[in-house]
Amino acid sequence: MFVDEVLDGVNFKSTWKKERYINDRETQTTALLVSDEAVQSYKTVDEAVQTDEEPKRKLRLAEDTSGQLANFLRRTEPYIIKQLTNNLRSRAFDGYDVDLEDDSTSVTSLHTLTYPSLQDKFQVTSLSWNSTGSVIGASYGQQEHEDWCTHRSVMCTWNLDRTGIVADKPDSKIEVDSCLMYIAFHPKNPAIVAGGSFNGEVLLWDLSREDDMLIATSGLGQDSHQEPVTKVYWITDAKGKKIYLVSASGDGKIIQWKIDRKAQKLLPKEGFMVMTQSLPRQMKVKGVRGDREIGVTCLSYHSEDRETFIVGSETGVIFKCSMYSQGPPAGSHIVSSIPLRSPVTFTYNPHHGPVYAVECSPFHRNAFVSASMDQCIRLYSLLQAQPVLTIEPGEGYVHSATWSPVKATVIAATTQSGNLLIYDLKQGKTVPVHNIPASSNKEPVYACQFNPQQTHLLATGDGKGRVQIFKLSSKLQQVSGKETEFLGNLVNVTAE
Amino acid sequence: MSEVEETIKRIQSHKGVSGIIIVNADGIPIRTTLDNSTTVQYSGLIHQLAAKAKSTVRDLDPQNDLTFLRIRSKKHEIMVAPDNEYLLIVIQNPNAV
Repeated sequence: MFVDEVLDGVNFKSTWKKERYINDRETQTTALLVSDEAVQSYKTVDEAVQTDEEPKRKLRLAEDTSGQLANFLRRTEPYIIKQLTNNLRSRAFDGYDVDLEDDSTSVTSLHTLTYPSLQDKFQVTSLSWNSTGSVIGASYGQQEHEDWCTHRSVMCTWNLDRTGIVADKPDSKIEVDSCLMYIAFHPKNPAIVAGGSFNGEVLLWDLSREDDMLIATSGLGQDSHQEPVTKVYWITDAKGKKIYLVSASGDGKIIQWKIDRKAQKLLPKEGFMVMTQSLPRQMKVKGVRGDREIGVTCLSYHSEDRETFIVGSETGVIFKCSMYSQGPPAGSHIVSSIPLRSPVTFTYNPHHGPVYAVECSPFHRNAFVSASMDQCIRLYSLLQAQPVLTIEPGEGYVHSATWSPVKATVIAATTQSGNLLIYDLKQGKTVPVHNIPASSNKEPVYACQFNPQQTHLLATGDGKGRVQIFKLSSKLQQVSGKETEFLGNLVNVTAE
Repeated sequence: MSEVEETIKRIQSHKGVSGIIIVNADGIPIRTTLDNSTTVQYSGLIHQLAAKAKSTVRDLDPQNDLTFLRIRSKKHEIMVAPDNEYLLIVIQNPNAV
């Protein structure tokens, strides 16, 4: 009853799964066509053009063939001599000024240069033009110190001949550890500049160097100054070959330096000390020793006689000094490796306050000008104690006074009230021909320098660190030739 | 020293005189106290100017003639004494003190 039975499997066809078919198909993109093309511009041609150098015309003196030369000269000489003599005496051209260029009569401000990083805290302590007259350098410092000087001050220079001068970005700046009190550019080399600092150091820089511009320093110590340096000055010897650096300071020392470039040192060569015994009798204080030092505030060398110089002091006294003077030596309390002696040969009638500036006239051998805290500008003759002319501008302290390098009778001065005063002694002695505000907010103007090369420029520096460049009127540059004579008369006549 | 040199020296020693040049009729310098380039410049230019001045005076009046020429400039006074054969040029600085 039981039978083996094999049942066939039953297949169901899936309702959802579909069979896959695979077909081969081929497809191909068309081959990329690449072609190279080269393009080149036409050939270039160089041409150089240069102007011919002008052939130097040789001087060939012709032989005199006719033999009549002596005759000719015999005939003309008397007449020529007569004319030459007449010419010198002639007053025909006096006051006859032909101004073929612009006849500007005003003094205008060209630039106002600042260094914003100083934030108005520093004053312009001095200004100096370089030997080519294109760069103005300004030293910054603070006049008032209650304590040690811990300021970091700076010296900035601007090149005015550059196109696109940026007024608030100096071309170069040198940082100094102490307030910089005075700078002076070398008279021949436009890159060398000397400076004196508040802590008594004298420094020398070369602006053309890339990294470390300092090339020599006096260092600090007994051979250097013990008080702020008030003036550095380059002097040229009589032959005009050798140039020396001289510095003066509040400690009464005047030191002439020797530059040792290898050791990067300034070595004292000669030294002087201005002492209380040189004071006029009425200013001497009883019981004070005669070898006490007097602070030197300014000095100026004579334009012709290189041994003579004028010194202004904190006491208000102005001294005439000589490099060869054999004055009494400095007191024993002064330690110095070089002998110091008094240079004083003559004493002038004193100012009633510290002397801020003295300057010898570049044109007349006997004239010099001084400016002081007593609000006076004085004109002195080297030969007499009394001033020959006193100008009282009534504008507060007179911080600077300087001679024009071109016109013998022109003096520029700056005042506490912030004005630049320009005097022409020939046109009204005591009334300025120009009175121009040279600072904003009536800040005192401390420094003033004529440009000795580009004589139409003058720079001033004020209490907020602003340097102003002025363009002078053509009247202040025109020389009629009689100015020196006029100044000479002024200095001599009153001397009688 | 010849008479000519002596005369030149005499004029040169005069106050304010900075130079003397003698030029011949062709405008070529014969004697000079100045340096080469200055001499060449002065003699060439002044000779032309003197010739022009002479012809101007003559053209205005044929009976007239130029006797002396002075040029006043800011820096100098140039004096020219003309002659048929020569020209004497003297440069003076009248402001010299």
